Parts: sequence; C-alpha cells; structure tokens
Amino acid sequence: MNDANPVLSVDKLHKAFNGKTVVSGLTFDLYPGEILALVGENGAGKSTSKNMLCGLLAPTGGEILIEQQKVAEVDGALHGISAVHQELSLFKSLTVAQNLCINDLPGSNLNIDWSKAEKIARKELDFLGVAIDPQALVGDLGAGKQQIVEIAKALLHANKVLILDEPTTSLTKPEREKLFAVMQKLKARGVAMIFISHFMDEVYQMADKYLVLRDGQQVAAGELAKTPRSELEALMVGREMTQSQIELAPPQNQVSLAVRQLTSCHFNQISLNLKKGEIIGIGGLMGAGRTELAEAISGLRPAQGEIYIGGKFIKRPSLATMLKHKLCYVTEDRRGLGLFPQRSVKENMTAANLSNFVQPLFRGIGFKNEQAAAQQVVDKMNVVLPDINSAVSHLSGGNQQKVLLGRWLACQPEILILDEPTKGVDIGAKLDIHKKIAALAASGVAVLLVSSDLQELLDLSHRIIVMRTGEQVAEFNRDAFDPTKIIAAAASSAYAKETS
Amino acid sequence: MKEALSNQLKQNPAMPMLAVLMILFSTLSPYFFDAINMESIAANNAVILIAAVGMTLVFLTGGIDLSIATVISVSAVMAGVIMGHTDNVLLGVLTAVSVGAAFGLLNGFLIGFLGLSPFITTMGTQLIARGIAFSVSEGIAVQGTPEPVIDFGFALVMGIPKITLVSFAVLLIVGFLVALTSWGRYIILLGSNPLAARYCGLNTRWLELSVYLASGILGGIAGFISIANLGNALPGVGDTLLLIIIGAVVLGGTSMNGGEGSLTKTLFGVAVLAVLTNGLNLLGIPFYDQLMIQGALIFIGYSIAMRLNQAKR
Repeated sequence: MNDANPVLSVDKLHKAFNGKTVVSGLTFDLYPGEILALVGENGAGKSTSKNMLCGLLAPTGGEILIEQQKVAEVDGALHGISAVHQELSLFKSLTVAQNLCINDLPGSNLNIDWSKAEKIARKELDFLGVAIDPQALVGDLGAGKQQIVEIAKALLHANKVLILDEPTTSLTKPEREKLFAVMQKLKARGVAMIFISHFMDEVYQMADKYLVLRDGQQVAAGELAKTPRSELEALMVGREMTQSQIELAPPQNQVSLAVRQLTSCHFNQISLNLKKGEIIGIGGLMGAGRTELAEAISGLRPAQGEIYIGGKFIKRPSLATMLKHKLCYVTEDRRGLGLFPQRSVKENMTAANLSNFVQPLFRGIGFKNEQAAAQQVVDKMNVVLPDINSAVSHLSGGNQQKVLLGRWLACQPEILILDEPTKGVDIGAKLDIHKKIAALAASGVAVLLVSSDLQELLDLSHRIIVMRTGEQVAEFNRDAFDPTKIIAAAASSAYAKETS
Repeated sequence: MKEALSNQLKQNPAMPMLAVLMILFSTLSPYFFDAINMESIAANNAVILIAAVGMTLVFLTGGIDLSIATVISVSAVMAGVIMGHTDNVLLGVLTAVSVGAAFGLLNGFLIGFLGLSPFITTMGTQLIARGIAFSVSEGIAVQGTPEPVIDFGFALVMGIPKITLVSFAVLLIVGFLVALTSWGRYIILLGSNPLAARYCGLNTRWLELSVYLASGILGGIAGFISIANLGNALPGVGDTLLLIIIGAVVLGGTSMNGGEGSLTKTLFGVAVLAVLTNGLNLLGIPFYDQLMIQGALIFIGYSIAMRLNQAKR
C-alpha cells in the first residue's frame, strides 16, 4: 500500500508556549491504512502533538501536508482528520444516535429529523460491525462501547486519519479485543491511524510504524518489524542511569508502615513494608492506581486490607487518625487539594498543625508563636517570598510546593507520603526538595514517594515498586535499578502480569 | 502613614463610600448630624448588623443563608408569644435564641452532613420560618411585650442606644472568634478551598454545621432585638431585610465565594446602607426612588471593591 501518496505528512513540526518549546522536530509520513504508534513517557509531548495534528493547537513551526497540499494548520472536518481523546467527549444523557449526529443534525433547526439521525447512526455502527442500539443512552453503555461510539462519531466527520489517544486504558480485555477488531477493519478500508499508547504489547500488536518522543523531541522513528522491543523501550527512556547527586543514608531495621493486601476498585492486593529512614518509590504510568493507593494509605479513600503503623493495626483509617499516628500525605494536586489560594503563606503553613499554637491560658483565644514558626519553616524550606503575610497564590509553582511540603513537615511526620512532590516545579526548587526528602529520610522518617519522573525515583529511592493497572508488578532494589526494565514493567500490556 | 491609609482603603472599600455619603448628606441636610438622627440610624440598624454578622460567617465558608431574615421574624414571634403569656424577659431571650439555633441546626445538618446546596436548603427553611411566623401570630403583631423590653429599646448609654451596644458587642465577640480562634481560622480555610481543608484533616462537616448554627443563633438574637426596637414582635419584620443584609455584607467587601472577608468590612457595609437610607429619607426622596439608588450603589460599590481586590493581586 506504500505506492500510494501519503495522506498526511508532517515535517519538523514545532510548538512553543510563551517561548517555551514543548514539541519539536516532529516528522513523519502516514499512508492510507497505516497505523503509526506515538510513544513516549508521561509528559514527553504526546498530547501536544496530538492536538496539533487534529487541529486543536496551531503549530508554531514546521510544515503539514495533507494529501500533498500544504496547510497552515489542520482543520479536522475539512481535512478528514479526527481524534478520539482520552477523556471522552460524549453527552451521557443523550442517545447514541443523538451523540453521533450532534455536530451536523439532519433536518432543519426547528424540526430535527431524528429518524434520519438514527438511520445514519445505525449505518455507521453496522459499518464498524458492532451491536450497539442507536436509541440507547450513552451513559448506560460500558466504557468499551462508549469508546466505539466515540470512534464512530469521529469517523462520521473525518474518515482519512483517525487519532486514538490511549484508547485502551479504561477498557476490559474483551472490550479491548473488540476495539482492536474495529481498528483492523478500519485499516483494511484504508483509514490511517495514529495510535497513542503506553502499552508496548498493544503497540506491537497493532501498529506498523513508531515514533518516539522524549522531552518534547522526536528521538526516533521507524518500522516496528525491524525494531526489537527492548530497543524501543531504551529509546523511550533514553538516558543512561546518571549517578545520583544525592546521598541516601541506609534505612533502619524497624518497620514504620506495613500494608497488607490493600485492595479497592483502583488497585489490587498491594503489600509493602516501609522501614524507618527508607524511601520507597512507587513507579508506574498515569492511571496505574498510585495516587489512589497513596490516598487509601492516608485514610482519604476506603479500601479493604490491613494497615499497620509501627506494628499497630489501624482499625478505621481516616486522615485524622493517620495524622495522629504522624502519617502525613502531600497531595499531587497542589492547587486543587493542597493550598488555600487567597490565604497568606503563614496561614497555609500552619493549616494542619494550628492547634500547636493555640494558647491554653486564654481558653483558646489567639495563636502563640505562629508567625515565628511559619517564618522558621519558610527559612528551612528556602521559600522565596515577598512577605509571609502575602497570599500564597502570588508565589511561583516551586515555592508553592515548598509551602505545601513545609506545612506537612511542620507536623513532624514519622511517615511521609509524597505524591509527585516536584510536579510543575523548576529545576532549582526540585533539587532543594530532593535534598530535603533525603535529609528527612536520613533523620529516620519513612517516605513513600509516588512519582512519574523516573529520574526522581532513581535518585531518591532505596527501592522502587512498579504498579500497572492497579497491580503491584515489580520491585527493584537500588543496586539493581534499571530504567529500561522499570519502564518495561510499567508499560507492558495492561493484562499480562509477567514482564521482561 | 499614607501607605497605611491606602491599605485601609483597599481593605475596606466601603469606608471612602461612607465618608462621601456622610459629607454629602451633612451638607444637604442640617438634621443629618443631629444627635437624634444619629441615634435613630444606630438603633434602626442593630437588627441588620447582628444578622449581617451571621451572614458574614456563612459567606466566609462560601455558603449563603437565605433563611436568616425570616428566622429573625419567627424567633421574634415565638419570643413575643412566650413573653405575652409569661411576662418573663429571660424566657423570651432563651426562646428567641433556641428557635434561631433550631433553624441553624437544621440548615447545618442538611448542608454539612447531607451535602445539600446551601442556596436551596436555606431557601426551604426560609419559607418554613416565614410560614411558622405568620401562622403562630395569625399575621398580626404579637401583643403583650413586657415593659422592660420596650424600655430597653429606648434606653441610651452615653447617647448610644442600648440595642446598638448589643449589636456592637455581638460584632466584637464574633470578630474575636473569627480572628483569634482556630475555629475562625478553619472556617476561612474551608471557604478558601474546601477540598484542601479536608486534606488537612479538618472536620469540614462540623465546621459547616457550626457556621449555620451560629448564623441561626444570631438570627434569634436579632429577632429579640427587633421586639425591643419596634415594641412588638412582627411576623413580617425580617421579610424585607434579606437583600439589605446580603447587600451590606457584599458592599463591605466579603467575598460570596468564601475564604476572604472580615466583620470590620461588614460593619462598614451596614453603615453605608444605613446612612444612605437615612440621608435619602431626610432629603424627602420617595421610597421607590430610594430603592433604585440603593440598587445602583450595591453594584457600583461591589465593582469598586472587586477592582481594588484585583489591584491587590
């Protein structure tokens, strides 16, 4: 099929936000009936690339040719390119037929021809070979069928190139097989597809070609048939394991936190022993259930299983109980779940341990030493700020993160659960935070570190536990860290338990 | 000095407005600065100030209490009925406060523990309170207010009406609670970001309940004060007050979204509306024209407050 002309060609596509390059050098040719896999770690630039290719973002450089016609930017409907995004864009309270035709309803504005819409929907669904009732409400369908309705909707308006962003993450195994069958059918009909996936098995099963993005750069592209899987994984990671700049003290023998068979709808049978002074990294892809696990251990989410702190069984874990046992959880969602934006740095710092400053003498009226204690944390954490009484929303992301971390360190935790502690933080602040974490561990604090930044896990952890779709799939000791193996464990098929 | 003043102005946008209105009315009317006029402004706004304190607490958490005005009515009516039968003032005070507390608890339970929306919930309790007030009083003023209560309404201490002193005392006590206790700090944090408050281990349900309870109790106190002010318990006393209360709090600069505001701001907000109403009355401007001016002032004042707040950022 390669004798035909490419349906979509892209040359050195480049995107920058406010002068900061997020994607550069994107170059490929896509022929009809081909599937191109777009792979890379979290934050490698896959979503930005997708958005440029389906017309949601205008590129800041490079060329796009559609059927050999140069265009400035993609117009999805006009050029026949459409995307199925990770977050479904369906109206759950409308029927399948209404959803499919919503962009271009048949009939006039005042008199919509719903029976015609139903016919269109039925034809499209038959074409895909799936049994979905056009009259059913989308909200009543399972995730797999919703995904297929989404694909049908995309194809209705644009049938040359289809971009699928992580289409399998929320699907069960049979649903996934069904989706792949639909993809095969489309491929046979000459629809070109760009397949974005974390899962290497799926990439090898479905795609013809690959394109690897790393830190916004296209680092490799080629035929999957000629590229062994280990090579592709190495390309995604790309870095040699650099010697960590951070010295980790050896952990003590006493177990601080023990988790036994912890299970909820987001993760399954997780067990771990966290020693005093030890840092355990939890690696994995987005949606692997890591944040949910961290929140369950912190008492924020219900889960079955057992949690022990210092050998003591915790009957009903709630955040308040866990706080009493000196377990603190620092959320990954700084803005949404962490900070009080309009309030001062001081108030943000003392929000979790305000009771320490309440004066007993005047029956709880007034806070003693609050200002001084907050100032002390500011100094210790190296926060750069105009004034301790200025609103926390004025600070930069890195300094906000330090304030959040400082709030919990002021509680003097013995167990600290950190969820993406350096997300959206500049490099200088990141190093500060890393040093702080290592120093805390050295002083005997047990740390559970959830991170999508592999280098961070490698630098800071004594051990790394890898999770995949809620399962605990691999564990590595510091002397046996191997980034490629870690990525492989995290990014294998969603269902196969065994890796490498 | 100059900086401190401009800071004050940014904190309290109603302050310059109050100054302008006072200068304006004192030049337009010779009676404005008269002691009797000042007394009447102070006495007639005691009820509003107490209720506005309650509303401010609720606003700080990001909620709203639409029931507070008719809770004033129902607690006044119940207290009036009890006092009419027993002639016991203390029992009357207790009745007013407990009726207010009961409505506050109901609101707080529905909002804090069942997670209902504050707007809808308090809209419902507002109607219930109004219904009870009118059915118990059969729609007319409750007779038989004890003499001491009526005397209290007219009494002055150093030229200031006693009921005004009560409202200032309420403002001061609640102001202290908000500024200097962990409860006060926590309700502001809750209003600033309820999810973050939960992730800090705060008991957000009880905090929410406590705020509506406080608002209900303050409504009850305001209800009793309304009897002293008017001489009778009127079933419709609170009906027209709701928008004045909300307007005063917003004009003072407390955010309806929660997490920002103070009782000082509310004091200035109440004062602006009080002076405005009084001044327009003195000038003989008809009631309906006054409404138009009040309405315009609320959004003019609010937009100025918003600008100042943005400039601060």
